[in-house]
Amino acid sequence: MKKVIFAMVMMALVLALAAPSGAIQAQDPVKIEVWIAFSDYRLDWVKEVAEEFNAMFPQYQVNIVGGMSYEEMFAQVSVAAEQNALPGVIHFNEASTQDARDSGNFKPIAQALGDRTEVNGLAIDFDDIIEPTTAYYTLDGNWTSFPWNTSSAIWFSNMNFVNAAGFDTPPATWADVDEYCAGIMALDNAPEYCWTFPNYGWFFEQWLAQQDALFVNNDNGRADRATEVAFNSDAGLAIFNWLNDQYDKGYLYYSGAQGGDSWGTVDQAYQTQSVAMAAYSSSDTTLYTRMGEENGFTTVASFLPYNQETGWTGNLIGGGSLWLVDGLTPEVEEGALTFMIFLSNTEHAAAWHQLTGYVAVRESANQMLEEEGWFAENPNQTVAMQQLVQSTVTPATSGALVGGFPAIRNAVTGATDRLFLTDEDPAGLLDKAASEANVIIEEYNLLNAP
Amino acid sequence: MIISPLLLVLAGALVGAVVIGFVFSSAAHRGLLGAVLGAGAGALGSLICMLPLDYCMFEAERKSIDVIFGVALVGLGVLLALAPVAWLSGKLLRRESLVSATSQPTQGTFRHWWIALPLLAPTLTILVLFLYYPSVETLRLSTMLSRLGARREAFVCVDNYTRLFEGSAYFDVVARTVYMSFFIVVLSMAIGLLIATMAYLPVKGASIYRTLLVWPYAISPAVAGIIFLLMFNPTGGIVNYFLKNWFGVRPGWLNDPSLAPWTIIISSVWKSIGFNILFYIAALQNVPVDLIEAGAIDGAGLLRRFWHIVWPLLSPTTFFLLITNLTYAFFDTFATIDYLTPGGGPLQSTTTMMYQVIRLGVDNNDLGKAAAQSVVLFLMVIGITVLSFRTGGRQVTYGA
Repeated sequence: MKKVIFAMVMMALVLALAAPSGAIQAQDPVKIEVWIAFSDYRLDWVKEVAEEFNAMFPQYQVNIVGGMSYEEMFAQVSVAAEQNALPGVIHFNEASTQDARDSGNFKPIAQALGDRTEVNGLAIDFDDIIEPTTAYYTLDGNWTSFPWNTSSAIWFSNMNFVNAAGFDTPPATWADVDEYCAGIMALDNAPEYCWTFPNYGWFFEQWLAQQDALFVNNDNGRADRATEVAFNSDAGLAIFNWLNDQYDKGYLYYSGAQGGDSWGTVDQAYQTQSVAMAAYSSSDTTLYTRMGEENGFTTVASFLPYNQETGWTGNLIGGGSLWLVDGLTPEVEEGALTFMIFLSNTEHAAAWHQLTGYVAVRESANQMLEEEGWFAENPNQTVAMQQLVQSTVTPATSGALVGGFPAIRNAVTGATDRLFLTDEDPAGLLDKAASEANVIIEEYNLLNAP
Repeated sequence: MIISPLLLVLAGALVGAVVIGFVFSSAAHRGLLGAVLGAGAGALGSLICMLPLDYCMFEAERKSIDVIFGVALVGLGVLLALAPVAWLSGKLLRRESLVSATSQPTQGTFRHWWIALPLLAPTLTILVLFLYYPSVETLRLSTMLSRLGARREAFVCVDNYTRLFEGSAYFDVVARTVYMSFFIVVLSMAIGLLIATMAYLPVKGASIYRTLLVWPYAISPAVAGIIFLLMFNPTGGIVNYFLKNWFGVRPGWLNDPSLAPWTIIISSVWKSIGFNILFYIAALQNVPVDLIEAGAIDGAGLLRRFWHIVWPLLSPTTFFLLITNLTYAFFDTFATIDYLTPGGGPLQSTTTMMYQVIRLGVDNNDLGKAAAQSVVLFLMVIGITVLSFRTGGRQVTYGA
């Protein structure tokens, strides 16, 4: 008898323990962690989208973690991978593409999606993604990461200065910049300097692509794995000579800040009207336009000036994309894919563009904005898109794929720094940066090539 | 030039035999026993660094700098093995106690020596996990070509170290680190003492501005960095706005290679000064007033009283602050540098050793080279600390 009672009590206990927890598990949403490499208003926007997503898909709970820069993100992810603590989705910048592909931590999007045209009722529709973004992030036509924030380097002009110097439109070529600067610096109320740009390797890459010149060999790493840099060419030297000339004439302001954190110094110089013009990322078009409105001048955005000797082939993209971590459970993977599609759907692509100035990555979003009259009201916002659409897609304008890219950028940035502050020969500096970069590529390939 | 491993072991044994043999013969006239013991220790010592590295720097295709490194490492291993043997045998032969007189317990002791072990276990566990294991791992990484997120690693012997001796770039970084650290420590402590002396004076509302003085220390380095960036930005910064209006000058605080290190020094001093003030005020409160009064009655002026009474009594605090400030200057200025001069300053003029390690490891993902540089940094800080204990430590007066 005692045994029976004992057995029954045990049974009841087991049931009592199992039943509610089982019930909770059934209702418990699938948790998906997403790491975003932003820390400002852009991160807040993503968090809002995630809340919207969680309300729409109660079976999932997306949690956004931010606060890291692109560089810190890569280090963080590598450490997390060693500890098997990777989240579901990771946001890398475009320069990390080769490293991310080689790391083996991520599942190519094309492979995860297979033949499907929709996930959880959301249409994928890759054909709707604009061409430059597709060219950058696909490998043999297959997406390895999911497109999200795409930008391009453009030019902002404080029209108060430009008009005062007798010009109606922003400069189009390097020669124009020189001419404009001569005029602007001769004004009675001339700014401290004529123009500036963040000393970040991306701008050198832009000016190189405009001249249809490669950054690395093997068709910018797209025909085969890149083994050497190609930027110490005539085109590269032309950039260095032009920049050096601009600096020596006192036109170009160099803040001394280098790399991914050099953007802020340009903001301050432009906002306080210490410079008349700036090369910058389209990602902050909205901000730069507003800076003018708030400080009593007009900002006009235009294409990044190019080398008139070689003409303009096109510009390349910047920004980042979303990577799907490999080895997730099917439910988490499904949720992660759903969120990526949701974040870049037509409405969100348009809203993201309006908030920041990043290009709307979907044709349908651009169409929607056009119909709403957004572009007509905000001409600055069309510039980056137009610059990319009008670009001829060549290996040069598709952008480089190379291992250790962030480190290579630092080599270029360091050479640019020496270009301005020493009397060293521009060609020698470029060659030195190239040999530094070649060591990085050689070591990278030694450790990563399959 | 090929040096065989056997030769190195024999050399280690020879050095060991001579040294320990000498220790033995001078203490107890049993030189032969000492020589045998020393030969064994020396031979084993020569293997300490060479077994994990497998004599890689003596391979035929290696350069002479690698060979020099190899010999130095063998020497280091022999030294590491012989030092404890020499010390221990010296003590034992002279029948001296192994515990020095000053650290003899004055009160109760544990009945069994091993009782200490479980009591130390929590601390030891944490030390092993978070300090010793990472240190050993850093040593291992420093001999590797290793990148964050890479599929594999490659053994490169001591290349990560020898490449530091190619050209003058790394020596510049070391010189710059010493230069900046020196001024940060000296200025921060001197100004801290000056302000503490004034804040210690009995005036109304002293506690309020004593609190205000310590405030900068409570601000996070990143926030301090941003504040200084906005202030010192050469164009659009408030400092140059006033300098331009009043004096017509616009110094390149952040983009002039000769000035940028000073901007870092100024903001680091500002950042750490509160800490020094705090400790100096506390120390000043412990200076007996009757000593100062006695000095005053004897006719000593303000400066004389300070120099002969207060300053010696502050010496324990000064010594403590010297070590903590040095550590701060070497290791904790990263955020200030990174916010004010991202990328390490114009012409790398604000790149300290620590900054370079983080830049190599985190930004460039180059773990092997970063590990080698952090080992060098570690050795340097150890060296400076030992040096200051040897020199400064002797002049410290504890107790009035």
